Amino acid sequence: MTRRAQVERIVGVVALATGVVAVWLGLLVAPEDAVQGQVQRLLYVHVPAAWVAYVAFAWVLIASVAYLLGRDLAWDRRARVGAELGVGLTALAIVLGSVWARPVWGVWWTWDARLVTTVVLLLSYVGYLGVRGLSGDPDVTARRAAVVGVLAFVNVPIVHFSVLWWRTLHQPPTVLQPAPAPMDPTMLATLLVGVAAFSLAALWVGLRRTRILAAAAPPVAAPLGASGPIRVAAGGQR
Amino acid sequence: MNVSSWAKCAIRAPVQMVRIARRDLAPAVGGVRAAMTVLPLVAAVLLLAGLGFGTDPVVVAAVAAPVVWLVVLLATVPVARMVAADEAADDCWDLLRGLVAPSVLLAGKLVAQWLLLSAAWLAASVLAAVLLGVEWPPVNAAGGLLGTLGLAAVTVLLGPLLLDDDGHGGGLLAVLVLPAGLPALLAGSQLASGAPAAVWLALLVAYDAVLLTVAWAVFPVMVEGS
Repeated sequence: MTRRAQVERIVGVVALATGVVAVWLGLLVAPEDAVQGQVQRLLYVHVPAAWVAYVAFAWVLIASVAYLLGRDLAWDRRARVGAELGVGLTALAIVLGSVWARPVWGVWWTWDARLVTTVVLLLSYVGYLGVRGLSGDPDVTARRAAVVGVLAFVNVPIVHFSVLWWRTLHQPPTVLQPAPAPMDPTMLATLLVGVAAFSLAALWVGLRRTRILAAAAPPVAAPLGASGPIRVAAGGQR
Repeated sequence: MNVSSWAKCAIRAPVQMVRIARRDLAPAVGGVRAAMTVLPLVAAVLLLAGLGFGTDPVVVAAVAAPVVWLVVLLATVPVARMVAADEAADDCWDLLRGLVAPSVLLAGKLVAQWLLLSAAWLAASVLAAVLLGVEWPPVNAAGGLLGTLGLAAVTVLLGPLLLDDDGHGGGLLAVLVLPAGLPALLAGSQLASGAPAAVWLALLVAYDAVLLTVAWAVFPVMVEGS
């Protein structure tokens, strides 16, 4: 087993263990919310999914810039994996938010700034993935995708600050603000374990997906002279 | 590079930039096509908005500014096609790339796109004022100029993406351009609606600064070849 495969396996095992702890805390240990009831437990998945999606989109930005600077297709594959993770997690956050909103807000969807900007962000990265299918040339695809990967990140700060700039139905940041709102310590611990579980699971999926994409990529031609000219011996053997 | 050749370059670059902008706006290249596409689009959306939202002054006052910016955003899609016009004609694109530096090519195309989008915004604002009976605050002009500058940077960057091997990039361009214009839509609409100007102007300035920096850094990569 290679070192990379070992790391992948360790991350997977730790992610699974953290996930089990997060489920146990979220379903059995954390107290029921006094106002929202049991449905509040959905937020132990909704919030980590949204946070890790932000991180995934930031990763797309970093990997895209790295590709543009070095033109190494490995960075393009990493950016692609980040976008795939970000799109999936953002979609999950939107769907779970909608399921939570129905009993709490009374509607599946409302024209709230956070909701709309999040869906627009999702569309941007769906477009990013669409760009990857425009050309058959991997270098052209990578170049175009990297540009879109940089541009698409413009909306991430808008999504984050939307709950501060507008008077929204969606609540403002609870944990990530200078003076965090008072929160039951068990609920906070459950949320943080959920974030850790999602982060580790995303890392594991990212490592696996990157390896699969690398294995599927066409081999890069070695520069002439790196291994010397091909010599054909008698009998056709090199 | 000595002082004399540096001075020649400094003089030549703006001239080249203006020539590229004029070329992009020339009737033979894209000017007529842009006018024939963008202006009817602006008129159609404004008319349909007036018809759809009715004559209630309260409703009209609430939707007029977002409708204007929505029109401008929609206009970015056909306008962005002009950026790719040169790339479609390979010889022309190669010639341009050989003759001028990427930064000059970017500046020329940016100016052309900015003028076109500003014209679309102005037309939409005037039509909204006439048809919907709204009055724009003076700061709206600053919002229009700043918002369309950022959108121009988006179109210049994403325009070359239109050209794919099968010719299917058009619809995807809309998926990419419209979300990238979200800050312009939000801040421009708020400024036109009479919201406190400082914060929204700051957002537009930041939006423009980020996009122009990205465009300057990335455009040379985009023009490397199709």
